[in-house]
Amino acid sequence: MLRYVLNRVALGLVVLIGLAVATFLIIHLVPGDPVRQALGGRASPDQIEQLRDQLGLTDPLPTQFWAYFSNSATGQFGDSFVQNSPVGELVGQRIAPSALLIGYGLLVSLLIGVPLAILGALRPNGVVDHSVRLVATLSFAMPLFWLGLVLALIFGLELDIFPVSGYESGLGGILKTLTLPAVTLGLALTVIVVRTLRSSLLEVLQSDYIDAARARGLSERRIVAKHAMRNAVMPTITILSINIGFLIGGTVVLEGVFQIPGLGSLLVESVERRDYEVVQTLVLLAGATVVVVNIGADILQAAIDPRVRLAGR
Amino acid sequence: MWSTSRAVVAAVGCVLLAATVISCGGDDDSSGNGVKLSGLTSGATTTGACAGDPVKGGSLVYGRQSITENFNSLKIVNGNGDIFANNLIFNGLVRTDPTGSDKIEGAVADKWEVSDDGKSYTFHIRPGIEFSNGQPVTADDVKFSLDRFGDPKINVTLAAVAVGYKSTTVVDDETVRVDLTNPVPAFLYNISIFPGFIVPKNLVEKQGDAFFKKPVGTGPFMVEELARGSHLTLVRNPNYWEEGKPYLDKVRFDFATDSNSRLLALKDGQAQIADGVPFSQVNSLKNSGDLIVQTAKVPYFVGLWFNHKRAPLADLDVRQAMQYALNRKEINATIYRGVGAIPNSELPQLKYDAPASEVPPYPYDVAKAKEAIAKSKFADGFPISLKYPAGYDYFKQLALYLQNAWSQIGIKVKLIEADQSSLTESFYEGDYDLAFPYAQFTSDLPVPDEYAQFVAEPRSGLNGFFSSWEDPAITKMVREFVSNPSESERAQQWPEIQKALNEQTPWINVMDLPFINAHAKNVCGTDIDALGSDHLENTWVAKG
Repeated sequence: MLRYVLNRVALGLVVLIGLAVATFLIIHLVPGDPVRQALGGRASPDQIEQLRDQLGLTDPLPTQFWAYFSNSATGQFGDSFVQNSPVGELVGQRIAPSALLIGYGLLVSLLIGVPLAILGALRPNGVVDHSVRLVATLSFAMPLFWLGLVLALIFGLELDIFPVSGYESGLGGILKTLTLPAVTLGLALTVIVVRTLRSSLLEVLQSDYIDAARARGLSERRIVAKHAMRNAVMPTITILSINIGFLIGGTVVLEGVFQIPGLGSLLVESVERRDYEVVQTLVLLAGATVVVVNIGADILQAAIDPRVRLAGR
Repeated sequence: MWSTSRAVVAAVGCVLLAATVISCGGDDDSSGNGVKLSGLTSGATTTGACAGDPVKGGSLVYGRQSITENFNSLKIVNGNGDIFANNLIFNGLVRTDPTGSDKIEGAVADKWEVSDDGKSYTFHIRPGIEFSNGQPVTADDVKFSLDRFGDPKINVTLAAVAVGYKSTTVVDDETVRVDLTNPVPAFLYNISIFPGFIVPKNLVEKQGDAFFKKPVGTGPFMVEELARGSHLTLVRNPNYWEEGKPYLDKVRFDFATDSNSRLLALKDGQAQIADGVPFSQVNSLKNSGDLIVQTAKVPYFVGLWFNHKRAPLADLDVRQAMQYALNRKEINATIYRGVGAIPNSELPQLKYDAPASEVPPYPYDVAKAKEAIAKSKFADGFPISLKYPAGYDYFKQLALYLQNAWSQIGIKVKLIEADQSSLTESFYEGDYDLAFPYAQFTSDLPVPDEYAQFVAEPRSGLNGFFSSWEDPAITKMVREFVSNPSESERAQQWPEIQKALNEQTPWINVMDLPFINAHAKNVCGTDIDALGSDHLENTWVAKG
């Protein structure tokens, strides 16, 4: 088990280093730098050169990369020139709304998806099954920004249940302001939950040990909840963990639509202004989240299912 | 984004059709000039709920298209998002008229005298004026602030307005004298905007950078909270120098960079006013009847820049042919929904501009365009690329329109959409043929001095504002204009420069545009100055 975990972690580190190199290169090689973007066309060439010098932007790229890499490795993310603040502080101020949005969205998708998947698996190809899959697929096919705007129009403008945009902290504030974006995100994810869970449940429900359980006279509820779910939930965990990237990408879009001051909107602002330090840190953070969640899912699987951790032997 | 892409489809259809007959602007009786359209007001509302006397108290939520990042007026990093917020917190010695004319009036100073040679200004500080913390404004504060204004190491954003500044001398507690190295007739305008704002010397010296997190100024409002990326809360400055103002207790800027979200919040009543109304939504908003759509005349133009390193664009006949091929009336109706004004200057609308009767705009005349291109060295046409900013339906529509219009005179335009940062970078590096370099191209001053020098003064180091264009005759005229202390002579010199620039058309001003905001009917006194900045000290909310 330990060797399995170490393997996964080592692989994750390689991925992160690759990501750091790629992000650095992309943001530095696209045209524009933070000084030019901040000062615009009105500053004299001398002033621009002077500021670039101060910020180390005139150093050769490998030197800049090494400075960034060695600092990041020790947890120093530098200062944002544009926002005149340490990057760590900027990220700290804006991490809560994004994390809450992802968590809330995931919760919504499970709350909607799990019961529907069970319903579909128990009566496969029935009317309910078909309509559930149709609606879920539709909501997945809709672009997030569009789905978000439609929900804001209906529940914000027309029914006036939720505000159309903005963010407030505290439990009440979160329920008020994050519900619409979380439902948007959750609906898009629901189809994944429904489809994977339903098909694996179907498969499991036809296996011999379920027949044996039925033969022992166990109730259908007990069979599904105790026996079938434990086996059927595995692929869903894998798929959900792979989709953490989709969730993070979703926050970038939805924070723009609902004006949530989270990391997604910070990323967009920072890319626009070529705020190198912030962009690099955020992409690395997103990558680290994906890697950690994936490792976590692998370990969880290994814990639930011995076949996984023994497979390598 | 949703309605944006739909609007693009609709507009592309319009543009294609427009080549033959129609106007897609709908019911507008757009004459093509001016902004007097039914349902639009240019200026604050004074009728309906706003007919009575201003009411004190209350608060306002303002949906803003640009984010505010910092309150250091000498280190503006986020354009108008920073500038317009700073304008509510600080004042300079003087300011431009809050209601929109280009007149200069007193702010921190209430009186001033100018020496006959135009090289020395004596300012008298307004009696009793205090900073928001209650501390009086002294001559030392003014000297400290203006010396920072004049130091290009500190004034990194807009050192150009401080050219000619020599020194400030404290005459007595309430008087300072500012000396210039040479006459700068635009000097009062130069110190009226953000780099010239007055700050308290003792606090800035003591707190350093921290001062600008919680700044103290003489403006109508004070910073209560800046939640980055979310909102800025401003509260009334109890020590503000204008008697009885500001009326509002509190103003919250909600940053909403997405125009759909911004307008949705306004329609929902979450915000009572929103700026940056997209042209495509002007008609639907004004027809909804619940909101007032207000336009403000500002120096904002659709500047299409030419790179004179490209042989065809260095050819005057080609440039003039490109002008004649534009049907601006149609562009205004279809793309700008009739809110634009047809320009007779290649720069935005500025003080001293001569009217169209004296300096006529380029007429739409395809025959003349063909004639001009036939006369040029590029009679068979040529391929050229046009870069424009991504994310704006109206730039896409305009680019398509131009592509179509210029194909008639043999110019094959390749369209390149680029994100704003890449676009400006290639613009500054001279890596473009034709470009709309900025999504919002505005002047910092209501007088022509700034832009005239940017484009025609080689010493600015800006290379004809990145066009590589040079014209020694116009440079000479500009030098005389920007150093002439006589107001009446300047008023005669500028139209000559305007005319010369028009003839040379080193680039094209496609359209003059207003700033457009929309607000609830009971939001009154929404004054906007000549530079597009809101004067919320005059704003009040009517009851009921």
